[in-house]
Amino acid sequence: MADAPKRLRDYGLQSERLLWPTKGPSRFEEELGPEEIEHALGLTTLEKAVRWAQTRSMWPDTFGLACCAIEMMSIVSSRYDIARFGMEAFRSSPRQADLLIVSGRVAHKMAAPIRQIYDQMLEPKWVIAMGACASSGGMFSNYTILQGVDRILPVDIYVPFCPPRPEALMEGILRLHEAHRAGVPPAYEREVAVT
Amino acid sequence: MSVAGERTRAARVWPVVHDAQYEGSRIPSPIPTALQLPEELLESDDVLRVNFGPNHPSTHGVLRLIVDLDGESVVGLSAVIGYLHTGFEKSMEQKTWWKCVTYPERIDYVGFQNNELTFVLAVEKLLALEVPEKATWMRALLSELSRLHSHLVYLGTSALELGAISMFWYCFRERETILDLFEMVTGQRMHTRYFQIGGLAEDIPEGFYPECRKFVEWMPHALDDYLALLDRNAIWLERTKGVGVLSANDAIALGQTGPNLRASGVDWDLRRDQPYLTYDQIDFQVPVYANGDVYDRYRVRMDEMRESTRIVDQCLRRLERLRGRPWIADDRKVVLPPREELHTSMESLIHHFKIVTEGFRVPEGEVYVATESPRGEQGCYLVSEGGPKPWRVHFRAPSFAALEATATCVHETLVADLIAIVGSLDAVMGDTDR
Amino acid sequence: MTYRDLPGFVEEKEAFGETTVTIEPARIRDASEAARDALGFQMLVDIVATDYLGWGSQGVSGYIATATGRDINFPSTQGLQTLPSLKPKRFSIAYHLLAMRQPAERVRLKCWVDDGELVPSVVSVWPTADWHEREQFDLMGIRFEGHPNLARLIMDDDWEGHPLRKDYPIGGEPVRFSEAQ
Repeated sequence: MADAPKRLRDYGLQSERLLWPTKGPSRFEEELGPEEIEHALGLTTLEKAVRWAQTRSMWPDTFGLACCAIEMMSIVSSRYDIARFGMEAFRSSPRQADLLIVSGRVAHKMAAPIRQIYDQMLEPKWVIAMGACASSGGMFSNYTILQGVDRILPVDIYVPFCPPRPEALMEGILRLHEAHRAGVPPAYEREVAVT
Repeated sequence: MSVAGERTRAARVWPVVHDAQYEGSRIPSPIPTALQLPEELLESDDVLRVNFGPNHPSTHGVLRLIVDLDGESVVGLSAVIGYLHTGFEKSMEQKTWWKCVTYPERIDYVGFQNNELTFVLAVEKLLALEVPEKATWMRALLSELSRLHSHLVYLGTSALELGAISMFWYCFRERETILDLFEMVTGQRMHTRYFQIGGLAEDIPEGFYPECRKFVEWMPHALDDYLALLDRNAIWLERTKGVGVLSANDAIALGQTGPNLRASGVDWDLRRDQPYLTYDQIDFQVPVYANGDVYDRYRVRMDEMRESTRIVDQCLRRLERLRGRPWIADDRKVVLPPREELHTSMESLIHHFKIVTEGFRVPEGEVYVATESPRGEQGCYLVSEGGPKPWRVHFRAPSFAALEATATCVHETLVADLIAIVGSLDAVMGDTDR
Repeated sequence: MTYRDLPGFVEEKEAFGETTVTIEPARIRDASEAARDALGFQMLVDIVATDYLGWGSQGVSGYIATATGRDINFPSTQGLQTLPSLKPKRFSIAYHLLAMRQPAERVRLKCWVDDGELVPSVVSVWPTADWHEREQFDLMGIRFEGHPNLARLIMDDDWEGHPLRKDYPIGGEPVRFSEAQ
């Protein structure tokens, strides 16, 4: 061939041949010409890569309270498959979960367990308030329903309707993914709410 | 042993198909709903108190069980409920009768149309309002679709808890078809608010009939699929047969109704024995099984799904002949007039205004109306002062009674069977806590 | 045996196709046993307490509806104006019973109590009454005597007050519709 193939170190990248600088070009470097290597590599920062990985497997916690829980279960079902986004593994233990989808109305009696579960989750963690009752108390403005779960938890995404269609919940989840990939910090790190 | 069991045996009446599966009564005493540690274990160090907290892997919602374990067997149990108390009864006292209709559906959110039906029937009983035939048949059809929906969710989730995870996807596939039918008719998948006081909210769209017909033809094949997956599966049979036995007398004493009662050998179904809507004109069977264990409750629900499909078929045929008929009562003092009339008729405008702002008035009195919901007897006790708002609304929740039976069913079982038993009682926490 | 032979019988009423039998509160357990054993009401369906505080404070009209509406040519086809009937005491407790036979029979046993009055518990008659009575104690504040475990069921254990009473506020919050408040 004409020139020697360009090496990864010519781009300022450190390949696995760091410990063996005199080794010849790898198969990868040989198969791609000098122009193509730029198209074959993805360059990113560590934060972006980590965020990409986090959004691709954000595991929700099995936190179904009321009617919205049934619609949340149906996003796992085959029609509105959430496994495409890596989220079908609903973890029962909050210590293994990333996302708390508060699906349903929150009674005052339940507020303490919810806070305990949220505190048991490891950071980074996100909260989606699913449905009208979790967002703002819904149609129940009375002595027993918490008027919005954001009274006790920092919420990232509010999904309205009663109950939200599974597509609506997925839209909320995908917006959360987009926001996270764009660098928006989770709600507990923010002081002012970001829409 | 409580004395109640011996007394009810003397007064047994005809609906009991099979005798008690065990001698005497297993209802714990003195507290019937809590299993308490026996004498010899009170001071023991081997007893472990575990909290099946409000949030737990099984999918029943927010039930909390405080369980005492001696090794793997359950020696003490008490249930704590109230984590989903929504104050329906008090909220409904603040709203006019027409606005109240949105509330009951969220009580038993898995078989949602049935709660609305109970409330609407109770108000119509107080009003002595006659509902057109088409509305009654459609209500029966949607109630049966709601029963199918509820049993599919039950089957999917309780199989999921016992490890038969594939059932979840199969059941939810059929559930999606049912929700498509609901959406076609009412515009919403769940919580449809389609039953109004006086009939239905809107006419039935034309596209509903062929779609429902397709569903009715497909559903028996789906049920055969489920039976093929579960019913000959050795693990499923091991885990459900002989587990959580409840005898007929205990079930009656504990106020069980619906599939839990029919699985214990009591032949009682409100649709047949105290018919409401058009069930006296529909031909259907009532499955009754005699053993009272988890397997029988599962079989009762499976057979009920098959019967519900037949009922939907019959209602559909009748509705196809009732096309073009009115779907809501014509009484403008209670029912909103059609919107086209608001442009031309002054009286309609005034009626609309009065009904929406002040609300119509329901005569003074109290009624109790019960229907057969997927969980059992759902009742609505209404007290009206004669005003535009209800004075007292109370829903008799079948899941409330079902959870009372947990301590009786959990007689010398292992902790893994506890999950199967609670799943088979099919309690929805919204219904329990209201 | 008929309803009149129940211990503590006060009166019997029929309305809307339902029978309501009023029983003295002190004899409710004996009446329940008699209803279960002699009359065959083996299932207790529900126990409901109602608070009648503030009943009848406004004149209301009764209205009977029909499928075709009232006929304006006949003025009294609409119900007549009435005042709601007076209630003897503040609380009524309704026990809904079911006899599972053909035809199905239901009856409502009712007793009237004042605030603070004790009612004998029927847990020994129908074990299902355990949670029903606890719920009514929790939400309405009616104490049942002889109940094995009369504790709060639905509300928090340290909740003060009985939410479903008429003098308990609905709670919740006023809805704010604009930022400028």
